[in-house]
Amino acid sequence: MASSVARSDASVALSERRAARRIGAWSQRMDGSILFIYALVVLVSAGAGVYSERFRDPGNLTNVLRQTIVLGMLAIGQSLVILAGGIDMSNALIARMSTLIVAVLFGGDESLILPLLALGMAIGAALGLLNGLIITRVYASPFIVTFGMFGILNGVCLAIASSPVGKIPAAYLALYDARVGPVPMCVPAMASVWVAAWLLTSRTRFGRALYAVGGSPRVARLAAVHVPRTLVWAYVLSGLCGAAGGLFILARSGVGDPKMAEGLEFQSIVAVALGGISLSGGRGTIVGTLGGVLLLGVVANMFNILQVDAFLQQLILGLVVLITVATYRSARTG
Amino acid sequence: MSATSLPARALRSAAPSRRFVRAVDLTGQWAAPVACLVVLMFAVAFVPRFYELGNLSTVAIQASVLGIVATGQMLVLLVAGLDLSVNAVLGLGAVIVISNQQGFSPLSLLLALAIALGVGLANGLLVAWRQVPAFIATFGMLIFVGGVRLAYTHGQASGNVPEWLRVVGIGQIGPLPNAALTWIVVLLLTGGVLALTRYGRYVYAVGANYDAARYAGVPTREVVVACYVVCSVLALVAGLVLSGYIGYVDQRLGTDFNVNSIAAAIIGGTTFRGGRGNPLGVAAGAILLSILLNLVVVAGLAIYWQLAVQGVVLVVATAIQGMRGHLLSR
Repeated sequence: MASSVARSDASVALSERRAARRIGAWSQRMDGSILFIYALVVLVSAGAGVYSERFRDPGNLTNVLRQTIVLGMLAIGQSLVILAGGIDMSNALIARMSTLIVAVLFGGDESLILPLLALGMAIGAALGLLNGLIITRVYASPFIVTFGMFGILNGVCLAIASSPVGKIPAAYLALYDARVGPVPMCVPAMASVWVAAWLLTSRTRFGRALYAVGGSPRVARLAAVHVPRTLVWAYVLSGLCGAAGGLFILARSGVGDPKMAEGLEFQSIVAVALGGISLSGGRGTIVGTLGGVLLLGVVANMFNILQVDAFLQQLILGLVVLITVATYRSARTG
Repeated sequence: MSATSLPARALRSAAPSRRFVRAVDLTGQWAAPVACLVVLMFAVAFVPRFYELGNLSTVAIQASVLGIVATGQMLVLLVAGLDLSVNAVLGLGAVIVISNQQGFSPLSLLLALAIALGVGLANGLLVAWRQVPAFIATFGMLIFVGGVRLAYTHGQASGNVPEWLRVVGIGQIGPLPNAALTWIVVLLLTGGVLALTRYGRYVYAVGANYDAARYAGVPTREVVVACYVVCSVLALVAGLVLSGYIGYVDQRLGTDFNVNSIAAAIIGGTTFRGGRGNPLGVAAGAILLSILLNLVVVAGLAIYWQLAVQGVVLVVATAIQGMRGHLLSR
């Protein structure tokens, strides 16, 4: 009798502790950085809206959303990789590579749209797979491997084409401008991608594995998480996101440019860091990344409207990064 | 390439044999000098133009500049860090010293030195005190310093290189270019400090095991900061030598040095987990990479294949050293 009471006490205590831990985990994920980043988005947009008539034009606002799609795609992939404790410096080059190949093969043929979209995504996934396999099989530093991949792909892209190439069918270009009422189709499509990414990270076994691996690979392994497989999947997904972002650029620009997506690997990391995902992995949410992407999008749009010099833009971006990382909470002190 | 597929297979068995560990260790340490010899022999057979006297001295000067940067990069890698701001420091330093419209003044040299010290200090403080991942802190610095440089020059090239710098860049003493002499001095100093002084032992101790070093009373943070500062200053020195060699500075000066210095340091036997590596290996790495990049040009291939060569060397080297670090630390 006594023992069963003790047991039920213990199980009550256990479930209470679980509930407490769940709330703790929730509040830890919804920490101040997410509120801060959205407050900043609202503040900057409001400021820009008051200051500039062109900014608050509804057409411009949907444009801002549409312009964040490419960065958003890359930042989603980057978030997955960084949550798992890695980094992908090659995502922008994966975007460039897969898109360039697609652009070269198009030849203005409308019937090729679907197969080539599939091919582009497959190339992205394959390059991500390559990153993941090198990193997990030979214990190489993810930063340096993907940085090396950056260099290799850069060279290969220039070998494929040294100037803008490809004849893109009009039906493909129409994807960019397709509208439902006043809203470009691609905006709700992208919103659903964000929701899918959020569900993937917060509601699935794979999402929990990402957090576990990023938090501590050792503990994750002891908890029966397949660490290399989780990492490889993260890189594959990042490659897929990169390819998708690149294919969207292709619909916008209508030409395969061997210089496209320049600097996006860094911007995607900045968006992730701004959104409060720990750069050493395991903490933060994709919701924060969305905030980071929106902030960068609004600021870029403001820069354009105000015609800020390129060097000043670069200075400000660098300063923002340095300030963000200087206030960054590390795993050790956290 | 077989070095990368072989370990993967062997790893699946529980414990790799001792001979295998030894083999990977030796590969990691001797890859650069051996590959140098192989590539040089390859060049005898297929690209004889490589051995023309003018080309050889070009390679020597390029290897020297890269070697100076890579020596600094190695110091940072030894304490398990990474410096991606070297090419920005290299470029900004050169711009400040050279594009002074009133001609050269010693003051600009001091200013450039102050900037290099400041950037290294900021990198080191961010990494050691704020525990920011090294690549993100230094990458942010790269963007920022790059912006400063653009703001300073507005993208214009300048060809106002002072005479003494031209002497350093392209002059020779006997058969040896002055740039190579500068490199040898840097190598002797770094090698001497690492091998003979207490600070040198601290660097290896911090890199091999940060916490153990701290418990043993090593001022770990200060050691890390010092490595970043020295790395920045060496990047500045390399920038001056390079601009002396080229004879002008423009926006593209030094853009490849991030990838190349890391690749040279790692192929030369430095592990990115810290604690392993020496200046001589890195020197071999710098020579190997310079020869390869030069061969791309001399063999008549398009210039963008250089990018691919850099990437391949980096990935292969990283794979070997990653394997080595993993096997040696288990």
